[in-house]
Amino acid sequence: MLKCGMSGTQVKVFGKAIQALSRVSDELWLDPSEKGLALRSLNSSSSACGYVLFSSVFFEHYQWSASKEMNDDGRSLYLNCKLGMKSILPIFRCVNSFERYVEKCKIFTTSDKCKVVIQFFCRHGIKKTHNVCFQESSPLQVNFEKKMCCNTLMIQPRLLAEAMVLFSSNEDVTLAVSPLNLCLKSAHGELAADLTNSVYSEMLVGPDEFDFFQVGLDTEITFCCKELKGMLIFSEAVHVPMSIHFDFPGKPVALSIVDMLLEANFILATLAGNSSRSCSPQSLCLSQAGKRSDWRQLNSKAGQRGMHKPPECISRKTTPKRLCPQGTPVKNSAAEDHGSPQLKKANLDNIHEVPRSSVGDTEEEPNSFSRRKFSSMFFGAVSSDQQEHLNQPFASLAMASDSEDD
Amino acid sequence: MKFRAKIVDAACLNHFTRVSNMIAKLAKTCTLRISPEKLNFILCDRLVGGGVSMWCELEQENFFSEFQMEGVSAENNAIYLELTSENLSRALKTAQNARTLKIKLTNKHFPCLTVSVELLSMSTSSRIVTHDIPLKVIPRKLWKDFQQPSVPDADVSIYLPVLKTLKSVVEKMKNISNHLVIEANLNGELNLKIETDLVCVTTHFKDLGNPPLASDDASRDRDPAEMAEVHVDIRKLLQFLAGQQTW
Repeated sequence: MLKCGMSGTQVKVFGKAIQALSRVSDELWLDPSEKGLALRSLNSSSSACGYVLFSSVFFEHYQWSASKEMNDDGRSLYLNCKLGMKSILPIFRCVNSFERYVEKCKIFTTSDKCKVVIQFFCRHGIKKTHNVCFQESSPLQVNFEKKMCCNTLMIQPRLLAEAMVLFSSNEDVTLAVSPLNLCLKSAHGELAADLTNSVYSEMLVGPDEFDFFQVGLDTEITFCCKELKGMLIFSEAVHVPMSIHFDFPGKPVALSIVDMLLEANFILATLAGNSSRSCSPQSLCLSQAGKRSDWRQLNSKAGQRGMHKPPECISRKTTPKRLCPQGTPVKNSAAEDHGSPQLKKANLDNIHEVPRSSVGDTEEEPNSFSRRKFSSMFFGAVSSDQQEHLNQPFASLAMASDSEDD
Repeated sequence: MKFRAKIVDAACLNHFTRVSNMIAKLAKTCTLRISPEKLNFILCDRLVGGGVSMWCELEQENFFSEFQMEGVSAENNAIYLELTSENLSRALKTAQNARTLKIKLTNKHFPCLTVSVELLSMSTSSRIVTHDIPLKVIPRKLWKDFQQPSVPDADVSIYLPVLKTLKSVVEKMKNISNHLVIEANLNGELNLKIETDLVCVTTHFKDLGNPPLASDDASRDRDPAEMAEVHVDIRKLLQFLAGQQTW
């Protein structure tokens, strides 16, 4: 049972968070806990995940009582509330006027029906009530160790937003760092520009524009602009600088805002390896589609259907070179590109999903096994048990994506 | 073929950006002609249907602090390039707070116009933004298509009313008819008329003023109250009006 209340100013920030998360996905999970209210979203190709946690002190009043019913394995039920962005986004559409117009906002859930009630108490005694039905679905949680990244940058959002106008939202952007500077450039590269008639842009930003600039590893990562722009807008709205944590290409990049009252993290998959040359946005989509169908076959083979929805946990990387299950040696040349085994291990240790669902089927399997499987699905790596089935198809997939004709 | 130019003055840069925005609204693809004294943006009416052509001329020394070009040959000292106008205007949009702007013709696997901007920033290190705009070089045999159009002698010349007002009137008329009649006389009167089977709408503008006539102008003998009229396509007129910025 969730019950919380906010002032007009606070609900504006809340609405801005929802707007930022809408850039990630069409679905939003409301995940309250004792710590506070978390909003999560995950896009359909599992290449981007957003998480905003409003701590309990952010609200004017906050009350969360976990249901008294316990599950068989002793865990209490969470809210498991999934909302469609289409239903919730229009409620927070005119968020800028909330400060003046809305005096109070209350959000609460009813324990019996699957409904979230959002009430706005506005000026002149007007009260607006929105009843939003939700689907029972447990959210995916991605734990990403930001502090373990070699490269950490913190920048005022305004400065980066000025750079981001160069790129349109559907583009991939490449971030290249060295201790001397940061370079933001069009991902498609100079060769592809001729074919698409688009402009190749590049911006160099010096280290003293950053609040914090630590580059341990000279690297270039490529990811989609859309979520970055969403995070920048949110960061500007809350007046908190944004930090970027990343390592080598292929390892996800984390964009985060940390404040006393809230914490927001967007974790985006990055392109792996030297794919920037051969990879235009079109070929990315095609390879995703190809892999998706393969994954469904594999899912049914391994009997994972009971595990968890969404089934399409496809990484955005063009080649699934991250075939490094925990502790198992990998016969894949790409893995060696990324240096020491320590780095490989770091990739998986840091990224694992903790399924908190109490869906019946999962109880049969031990937690650690399910965790391993999810980590592999989420970012394209494969768990050890399926190594035999999957090495063959993956080898062919890897070669197919390497060529131009996807 | 070589071309290098530099703008250091903020006002010149602003003006150049606004010209580029206007061109982008008027024509999707246009031809850029570079010659020692001038820069031209040309839209040739044969390329785009509807018979709209455009000729925009900039004296290079009004904009650029440095300007060097070398055309195709000594006799044909010009460069004709075709580019997507929006690419240039978007590249210039990032140059709002620029210290300097450099444009040059480069060949990075294919011909490009490289726009390089040094931005002013809060801290000591300035940002450098580079845009490579792909373009096509127009061969010499096609140059004759891009000559300056000759503007025929006018029967009537009149100063237009506030463009914003004109644009809103024409926009409303667009919903009723595809063709518009513009008529004007030497008494400063302008009418916009549309006619359909069901309805006729006329908007009258008075006291607009006429530019002074040259001494050898044929229209001197004209009755000032007599209207000269033309039929134009409303959408083309609207496209022109939409491209106008408030200077």
